[in-house]
Amino acid sequence: MAEKKKAAFGSLQPDIEDILSWNDLPQGAFESATAAERESFIQDRKSVSYWKDAWRRLRKNTVAMVAMVIFLLIALFAFVGPFFVPYTHSQQIRGSESLDPWHYSLEDQNRISAYLEEHNGVGLMNPDEAVAHAQAQAEAEGKTLSRAEIARIRAQATLNQTGGGEDRKTAEDAVKELGIKHKPFGYSQAELERKAAGEDVFPHVFGTDDLGRDSMVRIMVGARVSIIVGICAALLVLLIGAIYGSVSGYCGGTVDAVMQRIVELIYSIPEVLVILLLSATLKPGLDEFQNSGNGPLQSLVTLLGSNLISMFIAFGMLYWVTMSRIIRGQILQLKQQEYVTAARALGAKGGRIIKRHLLPNCIGQIVTTTFLQIPSAIFLESFLSFLGVGVSAPLTSLGSICSEGLAGLSSYPYRLFIPAAILSVMILTLNLFGDGLRDALDPRLKK
Amino acid sequence: MAKYTLKRVLMALLTLFVVACITFFLMHAIPGNPWLSEKTPSEAVINALNEKYGLNEPLIVQLGKYLGNLLRGDLGNSIKMQKNRPVLDIILEMFPVSAQVGVVAILWAVLVGVPLGCLAAYRRGTWVDSLLRVICTIGISMPGFVVATMLLHLLCGTGKPFPALFVSGSLASYVLPCAALGFYPMCYLSRQTRTAMLDAINQEYIKTARAKGLKNKKIIFKHALRNALIPVITYLGPQIAFTLCGGFVVETVFSIPGLGRYFIQSIQNRDYPLIMGTTLFLAAFIIVMNLLVDLAYKLVDPRINLTKGEN
Repeated sequence: MAEKKKAAFGSLQPDIEDILSWNDLPQGAFESATAAERESFIQDRKSVSYWKDAWRRLRKNTVAMVAMVIFLLIALFAFVGPFFVPYTHSQQIRGSESLDPWHYSLEDQNRISAYLEEHNGVGLMNPDEAVAHAQAQAEAEGKTLSRAEIARIRAQATLNQTGGGEDRKTAEDAVKELGIKHKPFGYSQAELERKAAGEDVFPHVFGTDDLGRDSMVRIMVGARVSIIVGICAALLVLLIGAIYGSVSGYCGGTVDAVMQRIVELIYSIPEVLVILLLSATLKPGLDEFQNSGNGPLQSLVTLLGSNLISMFIAFGMLYWVTMSRIIRGQILQLKQQEYVTAARALGAKGGRIIKRHLLPNCIGQIVTTTFLQIPSAIFLESFLSFLGVGVSAPLTSLGSICSEGLAGLSSYPYRLFIPAAILSVMILTLNLFGDGLRDALDPRLKK
Repeated sequence: MAKYTLKRVLMALLTLFVVACITFFLMHAIPGNPWLSEKTPSEAVINALNEKYGLNEPLIVQLGKYLGNLLRGDLGNSIKMQKNRPVLDIILEMFPVSAQVGVVAILWAVLVGVPLGCLAAYRRGTWVDSLLRVICTIGISMPGFVVATMLLHLLCGTGKPFPALFVSGSLASYVLPCAALGFYPMCYLSRQTRTAMLDAINQEYIKTARAKGLKNKKIIFKHALRNALIPVITYLGPQIAFTLCGGFVVETVFSIPGLGRYFIQSIQNRDYPLIMGTTLFLAAFIIVMNLLVDLAYKLVDPRINLTKGEN
């Protein structure tokens, strides 16, 4: 057969002579295939599914893979991390307030205070001590101090302590001149002593905040909340957008026209304004609902937290529009295809056609759009929380941690910049991975 | 064109009406009332206050009255934050501050973003392209408050080039807020421009220009850029809206007495007329911007037929 086909090569005429002669073949010209021949018809390699094919393409994309690994590490940090830290995000540790993410060892601390005492003398005594010191001196000389003198000493001591003295040395000078290096992780004085006594004390890796809450645990929990918000919001958008878009696209005609006018209307509503209002509104309402009884719905609200739910609702109510437009566009194209006509001829109902034939065929677009909603939801959540209308205490998110950090920006910059960096890296990796996913699932789009 | 414009204007008015209704019901659904403070007044005082400001009537009546006043251009008076001062006055005082920052931010975003996008497309595949792509991807992944606080921390305060406190009228205090606000749109615009530019470069008329013997630079910046700008323009409408909203964050970080910050405070204070006024004002601004951009789109590219729908 193969040789004969070659004869027709180069000609536009189809080679039909062969085929015509097939009509004259006698019955006996056929013989059943041997076992070996049948074997050869079975494909040697497994058929590659759509997802495997996409995964193969994705794996070749170095940037996307690196982004995925980094994101998985952050997710691991956020979801598994809190189990390894003995503190909780709302636990206030007495005596460990405002710790830096570094510490000086006990010996170094002693050296620093010795240095300060040497250079500042009584300067570092507190007013009462200074007065007592002076009185003792005066008694030794057989004099008594007048009230005015006591007041002067007290004032001088206060001044020295608050940094009024000009050649007064500070702890920073001491550290510089003694060449002391600070050690990583924060420990309070009490914790250092316990550690010296041989106890196993978990360090405050990122320090603690004003209220003595461990920053690292808070960042872990915050990142977890941000990821959950992102994923849930994206799923909600997918659900609403897919249903709305496919119904609008499949039905067409008047239904489509009316549904598209509604979409246009929602599209032109300034979303951030409404989301700000919505999340301010829903949160107290949900709180009230949560306290109203003990039904399964109420416990769901308790489990997730009213802040989070109000954020999902606000997000889901406004952001499905883009998704529905994309899906409608796809369905408008796909519903002209023969297989849809065939399905309809076989008596399939609209719902079945959408579910079994149309949506699976635009799965690439759907997955990509849904995935890229995650970083944008995280972005929006952090924006709302930063402004103080998103996630609020006792729960926390990266946005609200940053917002708390803003107050002490000049003294404790790391309180804002550590969570901000994690947030940015998270959004960056999700964006990069989403881009890679789009290229892998829909190679036609790649430029 | 006239029919289309009319249709769009009507649609914009309808949107504004819907926004007014949504805002009205949402803000009344927020628990609490404007009279709550450290010293909660007695029941009788609250009733008298409610009666004075018409808050004791059914919501639907209140909404009707508000919309009626709105048609006459009366946005009502503030009931808490600046007692009895007309809302319109407050808005007209606050908006210029926000607008100055916003306009400068958008301007630098366009003037830097578009040429960078062209440059990336022009030097496609070289290190310039890669570097710009890295910067822009990072730029669109950093929330506004991260950029703003970083600038604030690094460049503001004593011994640093910019003042920590915002002073209206002082040029130096405008630099950082504008830089922070324009950073995201700059990155986004340059990405968009690059994509649109690469699309344009593959068109037939570029081949013609090349065949004619034109220089590469001239082809890119004269022939391709004009067509590449069309998708960029469509993006600018929502972007102006975004810049206003991003203004919330930048105004909070740099303590600028602008409209965005005031809007958030008015929600927290339940100052109903002020919430309505600021929301409607910002919404109207955003909607008008979108409308203008859509009409400009049609003027720039006569091939586009807007009346037929998007497919």
